[in-house]
Amino acid sequence: MAAHTSLKSIATALAVTMFAALPASAETKGPVTDENGVVVVPAGEPLQIGSFLSLTGADAALGIDARRGVEIALEKISGTYKGHPVEIVYEDETCSPEGGQTAATRLASNPELVAVLGPSCSGAGRAGVPILWQHKVPVVGVGPTSPTLTAPTRGPTFDGFVRVSFNDNATGKFAADYAFKTLGAKTAATLHDGSVYGEQVVRTFEAAFKAAGGEIVASEAVGAADTDLRPVLTRIGTKKPALLFAPLYVSTGAYLVRQMGEIASLKDTELLATDPILAPAFLTAAGKAAIGVKVVGIDFRPETLGPAYQTFVETYKTKFGEPPISSFHAYGYDALGLLLAAVDKAAVEKDGTLYIGKKALNDALHATAGYDGLTGKLSCSALGDCASPVYAVWEFTSEQPDSYALGTNPKRVDK
Amino acid sequence: MMAPDMRGAAPQSLVLKAGIVGGLVGVYVVAVGVFAAFAARPVVAQSVSLGQIMLLSIALAVGWSAADPRQGRSRRLAMAAAAGVLAGLVYAGALLVAREAKLQAMFVALSPAALNTGLFGKAGMAALAAAAIIAGLSALAGGLARQMPAPARRTLLAVGVAILIGALLRDLWISFFSNLLGGRWWVSTIYAGNGLSWIGTAVAVAVGLAWQAFRTLGRREAGKQRTSLAGLVLLLAAAILIPYFTNAFVAQVMLLVGLYALMGTGLNIELGLAGLLDLGFVAFFAIGAYVTALLTADSPLAIAQLSFWEALPIATLCAAAGGFVFGLPVLRVRGDYLALATLGLGEIVRLLVVSDMSAPFIGGAQGIVGIPRPELAGAPMVSQLSLYYLTLALTCLVALAGWRLQHSPIGRAWAAAREDEDVAATLGIDLVQSKLRAYVLGAAFAGVAGALFATTLGSIFPQSFKLDVSINVLALLVVGGLGSLPGVFVGSLILIGLPEFLREFGEYRYLFYGFLLILVMRVRPQGLWPDPLQARSS
Amino acid sequence: MTPGASPAAGGSGEIPDRPAAGGREHGAGEAGAGIGVGIGAALADWRRRSTWVDMVMLALRVSLLVLVSAGLLLSLAHNEYSAGDWLSFAVFGLTLGSIYALISLGYTMVYGVLRMINFAHGDVFMAGAFGALIVADPLIATGSLLAVLLLIAVGAATSAAIAALVERVAYRPFRHRGTLAPLICAIGVSFVLQYTARGLFGTGSRAYDDIPLLDGVVTLGPLQVPLVQIFVILAALLAMGALHLLVQHTRLGASMRAVAEDRETAALMGINADRVVTLTFLIGGVMAGTAGVLYALVFKQIHAFMGFAIGIKGFAAAVLGGIGNIPGAMVGGFVLGLAESFGPAALLSGFGIPAPYQLKDAIAYGLLVIILIFRPQGIFGERLAVKRM
Repeated sequence: MAAHTSLKSIATALAVTMFAALPASAETKGPVTDENGVVVVPAGEPLQIGSFLSLTGADAALGIDARRGVEIALEKISGTYKGHPVEIVYEDETCSPEGGQTAATRLASNPELVAVLGPSCSGAGRAGVPILWQHKVPVVGVGPTSPTLTAPTRGPTFDGFVRVSFNDNATGKFAADYAFKTLGAKTAATLHDGSVYGEQVVRTFEAAFKAAGGEIVASEAVGAADTDLRPVLTRIGTKKPALLFAPLYVSTGAYLVRQMGEIASLKDTELLATDPILAPAFLTAAGKAAIGVKVVGIDFRPETLGPAYQTFVETYKTKFGEPPISSFHAYGYDALGLLLAAVDKAAVEKDGTLYIGKKALNDALHATAGYDGLTGKLSCSALGDCASPVYAVWEFTSEQPDSYALGTNPKRVDK
Repeated sequence: MMAPDMRGAAPQSLVLKAGIVGGLVGVYVVAVGVFAAFAARPVVAQSVSLGQIMLLSIALAVGWSAADPRQGRSRRLAMAAAAGVLAGLVYAGALLVAREAKLQAMFVALSPAALNTGLFGKAGMAALAAAAIIAGLSALAGGLARQMPAPARRTLLAVGVAILIGALLRDLWISFFSNLLGGRWWVSTIYAGNGLSWIGTAVAVAVGLAWQAFRTLGRREAGKQRTSLAGLVLLLAAAILIPYFTNAFVAQVMLLVGLYALMGTGLNIELGLAGLLDLGFVAFFAIGAYVTALLTADSPLAIAQLSFWEALPIATLCAAAGGFVFGLPVLRVRGDYLALATLGLGEIVRLLVVSDMSAPFIGGAQGIVGIPRPELAGAPMVSQLSLYYLTLALTCLVALAGWRLQHSPIGRAWAAAREDEDVAATLGIDLVQSKLRAYVLGAAFAGVAGALFATTLGSIFPQSFKLDVSINVLALLVVGGLGSLPGVFVGSLILIGLPEFLREFGEYRYLFYGFLLILVMRVRPQGLWPDPLQARSS
Repeated sequence: MTPGASPAAGGSGEIPDRPAAGGREHGAGEAGAGIGVGIGAALADWRRRSTWVDMVMLALRVSLLVLVSAGLLLSLAHNEYSAGDWLSFAVFGLTLGSIYALISLGYTMVYGVLRMINFAHGDVFMAGAFGALIVADPLIATGSLLAVLLLIAVGAATSAAIAALVERVAYRPFRHRGTLAPLICAIGVSFVLQYTARGLFGTGSRAYDDIPLLDGVVTLGPLQVPLVQIFVILAALLAMGALHLLVQHTRLGASMRAVAEDRETAALMGINADRVVTLTFLIGGVMAGTAGVLYALVFKQIHAFMGFAIGIKGFAAAVLGGIGNIPGAMVGGFVLGLAESFGPAALLSGFGIPAPYQLKDAIAYGLLVIILIFRPQGIFGERLAVKRM
């Protein structure tokens, strides 16, 4: 086919490719000039938003739950924004850096994307966000909680990143405070599974617990695919900790609670887990052993979050036939809302055509203040942290997966 | 594959077998959830979905295999239709039972919605009748297709494939032609939503016909199949031009393809040339990546601030040294045991990398971030396209080195030792030295790939260095053709590239990956592009 | 790939470093063998005959020995664990080991008759656990021990059927070719089985209902052992005993042994080698399916991708015990299970390594590599008559 191509079109193609290959430079389109370039959405054409989430694999529930949140948010605005249909392009980031890289590249190759929602996992974010920012596409994180993504050392490649999910630093600190002050534990053991998330939370927990005056008597780890945790639990048992802090994912978490009961020396040790296991899938996997397990997670109660969340959960149940399958749905919902609020500020409308400056949009995102989200008031810091999470401790009351409902199973126990 | 098994069978049992097997295959695709995923993917004008095409092709295959060529013409067709009706009844019957028994609690893909689509939106006898009629007719078509003269059949196949390629690689074509022709005005003419419009379908049919005519003509003129060299040139030209005329995503996928081809070239030295089955290949890939990261990254863990170009040779040497240290003890282990020993070593490396023990030095679970891109003439190579060209250049270099090695005295020593160790030893070839050389060189190539991986990703995590990488490299090598350099590229394109272009089917792409491996090995155990020398000897 | 005897010492199939060195020995153990000649002379002889590679291997041996003994002594000196803890480790190791042992039997038998690794065997094991899942809840609801046995039977039958299918698809077409095609084909089958199970049963973990009959704890002195673990160990031992009888004392077993010994001669004696190979896969499948259900009973969680890692461990167990050797595979399984549960506590914690249980798989794989390097015939020796290069 190349034989039929005239020299001229090759030259055009060359120019197009070279342009795409270079970082965007200052550009004027219609009424808008922006140093990062301008996205034009002609009248009647769709406003395209990308999204990369963990949609397959063992951690698919994280991404699918967030996508459902996005879909409900979309339904609320009837799928349109100022007369433009809103089109969300989903990619799968498989909860891994390579997955994040490939998904981000695929999204970045679409020059009409206004912004991207995602990823679900921190590893995918580390690899994917810089690729999108290379094309000056801002990213609104819906699930990654690693502190590195919004740390002062994150570097200019993360300038285009804000997140509505919380920061693990806060989780570790809250869990340590709760363990030391409320539960009165003076000694604690920790267990992680070698994941980016687990290791990070364990380290912040350990630092905070020591700072509060407690003692870490054992700091252990297992492989993410390990099934027999009894030897490591026996080892922890020799130290007789008052508390075991284990931020594990569903599968390993279920092995843990099932096997912990078989270790006699851990009879008096309290278990504290974190929110990846706040899901009906955990009840399926853990069975009766799930009852009584305490979990640190976001306070998703109507009293804290307002009646909007209750309505949201009702909509979710009617639309998808089941209660939320992980704790990421509200992030998906808030991420789209927050993004459109920023588009409101950054976009210029002329004859039904939207002109969105890329830098203006990113600045608007970072300047978000007091946005009324499902997860509370969202105000973004200069480094991109928007959530000010209110934590709660939950406890499972039944092993029936269909009885899963925040508030009753698990019920709140810290206040 | 079904046909040869049934050659000796009586007509009735042939019909019975084809019908029941076909029906069960239909049930399988619904129960596994492939059908639901495919049904959501339109191919032609929002009216024909990929799911429908899949069910029809199953029925077509049933008719094809039931049309016993030893029978008379009309009897043959009757057999095909009967088998199709039977398959339809088995299929719809099983799905109706599944609906009544509410099996979704056990089999997650059997949701009411999927069953409803699978049963053509009908219930009870109507569903049975619809399935029987549709399957019977398509099976009849399958039987007819088997009677057709070969050129007509080939033309039909070409048209079908053209439509599928046109619809499934939609994004690729849009980006390719909008770069070539400029503008996107034609997109809504050719495509309707995700599928082809009727006009687009007509274009695809025309392309399929043209392709078939081109092939027939080409074959008549050339008189024989194209030579290997011409194919090679074509491959290289495509590798350079296609990402250039498409988009960053294509460049990214081709980058992965190149990376795996690079590793494949390394493993080819070990396995294809020296006959050493190595399943711990990923360990050297990891060494290359981590050394590069530690030498270049803007991170507290870094031990130096070198540029990529300075780090690349060091990383390669470190990987080669790793190959030497591992190779020395394990190379005396024979055959399959070597595979197991190297697999064990590879896993040990991964476990050490992720462990808390090594976290203070190489980051543990948090990996190493902030690895810079390579710089060329003072400017960092930021675009995927430039990184892809870097990968391609290095891959070609390594392939050239591999080719030179293959035809050097060293390569002949490997070949001799591979064919018969005893004879080679009597000829004065030092077997340990010869094998160690292959192992170290293979490891060095993996180190180059690792260095590239680290710099293109910008951050590395231990989860990236799983056994899957070794298995993928082994599979692409064997699928491409052991010992054949172009085979490495073809294998990589098919096993690494194709699944990436089919990302929209999520995890089902790995199911097809499995079926593809089985199919290629059953149909062409010598690989898709075998080395002429090795093909002769085996 | 000529199946002839190699010139290397003892038929262990190692590569001769120098062609002239027939009957060459290496290693510290053998060096002291010539007591009659005098140790000095033997040493000098060994030094004359060995290459630099032998020296490196010797150094490796010595340093490994030093490391392992230092780790053991340091850990014991720390004395972190009570006698009860050590006994608990033993029970955990035996439970997991009995599952490894059952899986390793399938590898060992298939390797015995075909000289090929069945890469899909781990997924055959997984299929058994899921096959039983389909009937688990109604069966368990009956509350009888018979139901549990029936559950095992269903798992075993599923795995046997899948194993026969694997043989039919991936091994029979390549019976007489010495290529890598069957290996890749089996890897393909492994992918298909994993993603089929994932498609059928979903991404998450599944579990059988709790079995009240197996709930409860048996107190043995200082030790409290869950009943289910004792049941699993006993059931595994029973299955392996039955297999041993089958192979040693039946006509079928005799023909299996004959085919393993020499396929061509066996065929001349009127044994249908194809049938024997299929039966070998079937029996291996029965053992793997049993293991799958027992695994589900003791760990109470199954998922589509669980077979791969456990399968590799099963093969390691087979190599450990000496491939082709059925009692060896059983012992190999138990050794591997015990190494995993004891290893981190007894070897690594002495060095003060943080989170030693993160490295328990590294110990298992390390054991595999060391056995392959220093004693490739396994602990109990191979039972392969015709050596394969």
